Parts: sequence; structure tokens; C-alpha cells
Amino acid sequence: MSGWRRRQSRHVGWLFLLPALVLLSLFVVWPLLRAFWWSLNATDLLALPRQHWLGGAQYSAVLRDERFRQAFANTALFALLVVPVQTALACFLALWVTRPEREWRWLRAVFVLPTMVAMPALAVVWTALYQPSESGQSGPINALLTAFGMAPHAWLREPQLALPALALMSVWQGVGLQLMVFVSALQALPRELLEAARLDGANGWQRTWFVTLPALRNTIVFLLSVTTILAFRLFVQPYLMTRGGPMDSTLSLIQLIYDTTFVAQDLGLASAGAFLFLLTVLLLTLVQRWALREERT
Amino acid sequence: MSRALRWALAALCAVAYLAPLLWLLAASFRENAGIFASGLGGVFAAQGWTLSNYGAAIRRAGLAHAIFVSLAQVAVIGGGGLLVNSLAAFAFARLEFRGRDLAFSAVVALIILPVEVLAIPLFFTARDLGLAGSGGQALLALSLPFVAKAFNIYYLRQQFLSLPSELEEAALLDGAGVCRQFWSIALPAIRPALATVVLLDLLTHWSDFLWPLLMSTRASTHTVQVALAALFTAPPVDWGAILACAVLSTLPVLAVFGFFQRYVVLSDARVGIR
Repeated sequence: MSGWRRRQSRHVGWLFLLPALVLLSLFVVWPLLRAFWWSLNATDLLALPRQHWLGGAQYSAVLRDERFRQAFANTALFALLVVPVQTALACFLALWVTRPEREWRWLRAVFVLPTMVAMPALAVVWTALYQPSESGQSGPINALLTAFGMAPHAWLREPQLALPALALMSVWQGVGLQLMVFVSALQALPRELLEAARLDGANGWQRTWFVTLPALRNTIVFLLSVTTILAFRLFVQPYLMTRGGPMDSTLSLIQLIYDTTFVAQDLGLASAGAFLFLLTVLLLTLVQRWALREERT
Repeated sequence: MSRALRWALAALCAVAYLAPLLWLLAASFRENAGIFASGLGGVFAAQGWTLSNYGAAIRRAGLAHAIFVSLAQVAVIGGGGLLVNSLAAFAFARLEFRGRDLAFSAVVALIILPVEVLAIPLFFTARDLGLAGSGGQALLALSLPFVAKAFNIYYLRQQFLSLPSELEEAALLDGAGVCRQFWSIALPAIRPALATVVLLDLLTHWSDFLWPLLMSTRASTHTVQVALAALFTAPPVDWGAILACAVLSTLPVLAVFGFFQRYVVLSDARVGIR
């Protein structure tokens, strides 16, 4: 019986894989190899066949380039602003709303709602929310500040404020998805653990700090690394809300790669930038793997 | 804490958290002068409601057509992806053949590739394949690259592996072939996982921006998000129409999500973060 099955499978296996492998090769592997080739050759957007070999020169050009450095610093700062706040907030909210009562379950749905609205739509909405106060008109955030006697700001036009403003809206949008991961991790926690701590005389805060949080370690590591990668992919918010300005203060890596391709038309340099970006993502993934392995041993 | 107090606290947090969306909804029904009314009440205290923003949004952004394009895009990705990815996942989970483990490792290695890295070379590949055009070609360009998805293959494989193998043994005894095993036994058994995958594909690709920005350059191929962005960036700025457009662009997703939500395994929420 099993022999029949194995013989049958040998032919069918690759057949079942075929559509996926064809599509993945065509739309993932081939473009990736092509971009890698461009990153090693001087490549003009409008004259693809005219290439000449540069080796690693474009990589070092990217690393020396002032704007690429600026974009990397901006993107890293954005991640630094978003990731700890969003993860801590999601964890705190999850500890609070993971209770059986209806009202908390309902509140969980509220926090998840913004994650279902597309980022471009939210970017447009928050641009309106951040509108500066001009000629009797005012965005709602500035209207609130003024009503409470505080100074209004042109949030998206001041170099010091623009990136934090983007980070704030990103945290607001993204917290829900992390919250759901925390909630399901909390619900999977063995009850005996908390019960034992209670019997040992631990109070609510002690149980949270010494039992629940350590048990969530892997979830936290997972979320920290995944959210960092997501933050590094920053594009929509600056593209629509600030166009990378003011004075390049919100210029993100992806936006610069995009601009280098279509505005400066330097496909080779852009590809080198893209691969350095990919290398960053890979490093973050490796750090995650390493941190998760620690726990298992 | 008493029950009433808990409800009050939850309601307060809900209103505060959803304030940006509540503002959006209110502003989309106001005349342009009222949208940025200053003062504590802001848009909520302004005078007069209007539907004209919605008319303007549909007219100026070509929103009806854009919603159709986006729906077609996610339908091809969701439907095609379901078939292609579950076939591959089933092969990796249940069939034995030479090179299987190597092929699986290769697929898993593709999971972490962000679309932002691929978008620009993919633009040229799509052009080479003759997909940079209008109508059906543009639709294929928007959807075909995202049908096969390494992560979905990985996730569905785990679902197939978690099925009891007796399920298929029984089918074998009944004389079912591999295709029947896949189609009539294994696939229906992982229905909640399939719903999860389709729904997350919907959420992901409804908000696609970078790729449609590259591919749908003419108005007739604009997706919802590109249409919204075009309205947003083209002068003169008509905030009423823009905000109405943002509301309308969200409704289809909420409708589909509300309808399918009960089929989804929320304990698999981490699937959403990829």
C-alpha cells in the first residue's frame, strides 16, 4: 500500500510544486538575481544593455554617500522611536484587556481597527490631522493644543518634529496587530503557572513581573525583531505626508532607493542600496534567530 | 471594579483611540470651510452636513473604477494563491520525492525578502513579459507576482502536517488518488487556515502602494490607494473629496473582513506580521 503511494508521489510531487516554483522563479528569484547583477555594474535606467563592471564600487559609493547615510540614520531613528514604544504599549494593553468579560473583548477589536485601514488612506488622514494653523483654519491636533493654551506647530514642516510625528501615527496604526499576538500568547499561558505563584503569595504586580512577562519572552523577541524590520521598510508615510522633507529629515531608505532609480536614473547605485537594505533585514533576522535559540537551550 | 465602571472606562478608551477615524468620518460630511474649523469642537462643532464630498471623490478620483481594479487584483491574488500555494504546501507536507527538502529550504529562504527590494527589478521583469499596459495586462502585472508566496506555502504546509495522517490513510484505502486526497480531504480539513491566508492577502494587497505606484501609471489602471494618492497630490487640494475618498476606500475591506471574520483563526494573528 505505502509502496504504491510512494511510487505515485514521485511523479506527482514536482507536478504539485510546478506552478508555485515557476511563479517564484519568475517574480522573485529572477528579479533578485538581476538586481544583484545591476548592483555590481554601472547601470543606467534608460540604457539597460550598456553596462560595465564595477564590482563592489557601487556598494562603497552608497556607504560614502551623504544622502544614503542620512536616509539610513532617519530610518534607524524611526525604528528606534516606533519599536520600543509600540511593543511596550501593545504588551501593556494586552495585559489589561486579556480578560474574559465582553467589554474588554470589544475594546480589543477597537485597537485592531486601525490596522485594517490601508496605510495610504491613514497617511492622508493624519496629514489632515497635523495641518498647521493658518488664517483661522487649523488641523484638529493644533486646534486641541490651542484650545488648551499650548502653542500650535507645523508638525510635518519642522525638521525636528516631522519624523516623530510620522512615528506617532505609525505606532497608533500598528499597535493592534502586536496586541493580538500578545493576547493569543497570554491566552496560551498555562494557568497552573499563575495559580502556583498566587499560592506562593505573589500579588498581581509580582505575578505579572516575575511570571507572565518572562513567559512572554519569546513573543517579545519575535515582535521586537519583526516590528524593527517593518519599521525599516518605511515608505508610504514619508512619501505621502512629507515627501522626505523638510530638509531630508524624513527621507527613508526605500524612498531614496526609489528616487535614485527613477529621478537620478542610476539603477546600479539604487540596486546596491537595495542590497545593503536587504543585508540589514537579514542581520535583524539573524539576531532574532539567535535570541530565540538562547531560550530553547 | 464594577461592571458599569468597566464599560465606561472601555468606552472612553475606545473613543480616544478611534478619535482620528471618528474625525475622518465627521470631516468627510462637512463643507471644506468646516473641516479645519479651529476651536475645541473643531469639525464636530461646524455647521451643516453635506454629501457632496462623496460625489466629488467618486468623480475626481475615478473611485468606482479604482475599487473594481483593486477588487480584481486581490481576487486574483487570493484565488490563484489559494490554489498554487496549497498545492505546493501539500507536496511539501504529504508527498515524497527526490529533492523535496532542498526545494523546501529554498522556498523558506525567500520568506524574508521584502517587496521593497524586489519592486524595482520586478518592474523591468513585468515590462519584459509585456505586462506593462492597460486593462488585463495591468491587472496581471498587479496580481501575478504575488500569487505564489513563500510564507503562505510555509504556513499551509504546517497546517497540512498537523492533520492526522489517518485521514488520508482512510482515503487511500477507499482507493482515492493523490489528487482526490488533496482536493476532497486535505483541503477542506484546513479551511480555517485557508480563510486566514486569503483574508491576510486581502488586507496586505488592498493597501499595496509601492508596486501599484510603479505599475498603474495611467488612470484606467489606478488601484484604490493610487487613485487616493493621485487625488491627494494633484492640485487644487480638495480636502472634503480626499477624506471622503479615504472613507470609501476602506469600506470594501471592512465589509469583507466583517463577513469572513468568524472563519479566521485569530490565534494565528502572528501570521499577519510577516
